[in-house]
Amino acid sequence: MAEPRNILITGGTDGIGLKLAYTYANGGNNVVVTGRRSAEDVKGLLAVNITYIKADQAAPDEAANAIIRALAKLGWHHCDLAILNAGNGKAGDPLAENSRDLINRIDVNLTAPILISHALEELLMASANSKLVLIGSTSHRGASNFASYAASKAGLNGFARSLREEWRGRVNVQIIHPGPIATNMHDKAGFDPGIIKRIFLNPDFVARTIIRKIKKGRSPTSISFAARIIDYLTLRNWFSS
Amino acid sequence: MRVLITGAVEGLGRALCDQLLGNGHFVTAIDYNNEGLAELDQIWGDKISTIAADLSDRAELLNLLEKLKTDPPFDWVILNAGISATGRFEDIPANAYQKLLRINTEAPMIMAAGLAGSNMINKGGSIAFISSLSHATGYPGASVYCASKDAISAYAKSIRPACAKIGLHILTVYPGPVRTNHAERHAPKGADASKRMAPEVLAAHIVTALKGKKCRLYPGGVAKLSRVLGKLAPNTMSRLMRKIIYEKLGTTRF
Ligand SMILES: NC(=O)c1ccc[n+]([C@@H]2O[C@H](COP(=O)([O-])OP(=O)(O)OC[C@H]3O[C@@H](n4cnc5c(N)ncnc54)[C@H](OP(=O)(O)O)[C@@H]3O)[C@@H](O)[C@H]2O)c1
Repeated sequence: MAEPRNILITGGTDGIGLKLAYTYANGGNNVVVTGRRSAEDVKGLLAVNITYIKADQAAPDEAANAIIRALAKLGWHHCDLAILNAGNGKAGDPLAENSRDLINRIDVNLTAPILISHALEELLMASANSKLVLIGSTSHRGASNFASYAASKAGLNGFARSLREEWRGRVNVQIIHPGPIATNMHDKAGFDPGIIKRIFLNPDFVARTIIRKIKKGRSPTSISFAARIIDYLTLRNWFSS
Repeated sequence: MRVLITGAVEGLGRALCDQLLGNGHFVTAIDYNNEGLAELDQIWGDKISTIAADLSDRAELLNLLEKLKTDPPFDWVILNAGISATGRFEDIPANAYQKLLRINTEAPMIMAAGLAGSNMINKGGSIAFISSLSHATGYPGASVYCASKDAISAYAKSIRPACAKIGLHILTVYPGPVRTNHAERHAPKGADASKRMAPEVLAAHIVTALKGKKCRLYPGGVAKLSRVLGKLAPNTMSRLMRKIIYEKLGTTRF
């Protein structure tokens, strides 16, 4: 069996992050997840082999510091895989987004992942084969109903494109852009996708595809409806599960 | 016409100021540099209104918006203020990145939504966002700058339909290297300054694009060519940028 790897996943208390955490933990890895809630509040949500760090990305610098401090306490001297997945979104008229919304969106979705990448640099460099994965969104090309969200994800895309070149040969920097997924993200933002939620990507499929894409390491890469169809057509999926 | 310009004291902002004032328009100039604003006041007198505000300071930014609400609406809003940070990603302190993202991304978003959302721009008016040619090419050695400029480009594109509904036009500008102090500070050593576009020339391109209500402006031949190459072969383009910029970077600057 392969050596257990040290894996950090931000936003691991729900949705895709939670699914990724369980899959990697069940594979025998050391998995640490972060979230905005208190440890008390997420008790019972996470399996015993998953460690939790509270790091609310609404304060990006504090979140990055909290993560580094906690990892040091856990005795991590290297990090093999960091998946920066935490994020929030809000649909609506872009001109109705007030300054609080805009500040929060950029802090949580863009500034925090950048500062966390920055803080993780030494731990990532200390692993021979490390990967830094950013979770973007297909809306990074612009979305008239998700303006600040699209902006934050486009920012991540630009960051990944440049840092991937900078860190080439040291850390594999990758950005993965999923299409709309049927997670709770939309409800949390007070947005009811209604009937179209039925055509949103299945969270299990997205988590599985993210893991496959991380193995391949290509960037940028998207997970879309076309990928869903290919997934269906792969015999492997007919026989498994 | 009434024009609002942020980052008006130096570089491109100053060139825009001078050009628009020279053409007889009224300018509201925003900058954090008090002395520079005083100088503008002295030269242009009652043709200009200057307001000192540090756009990296959230409280000051919100105060500024409140103050602007007491003015008559603008015709053109040019969100030009921006800073950079160049060097290895890991060598620049985190607080410099926070400041950069506030000035380059957060502030123009807050100003655009704040002004357009409360009828502070006249029907038929325009908002101009200044992105960067790095949107087409990537920018190893300035990954957070690149992030900030990609973000603002996607934001501009995203609010365009909502703005069109209330009669506002959005222009996004993707300038390559400009001959300003900003470029001087952040370019690799020995780079040829004469190859950079003069700020006056860029300002003239922007004014023409605003008049023509264009959506996107890649000013000059280098920018237009880079845009096409960036589309055709994004990874090759980023690798090329690494060769011409990252591997030649001198000292870290932020
Ligand atoms: N759902 C989609 O349609 C979709 C599409 C494309 C990309 N994505 C991206 O995929 C990623 C995961 O989304 P998801 O669908 O799995 O959403 P989700 O179910 O809402 O999960 C998001 C995770 O991030 C955490 N989080 C939210 N705000 C945070 C903060 N301020 N600080 C720290 N953690 C925070 C959440 O914590 P709580 O459990 O406390 O809420 C949760 O663990 C996000 O980056 C999202 O933008 C989603």
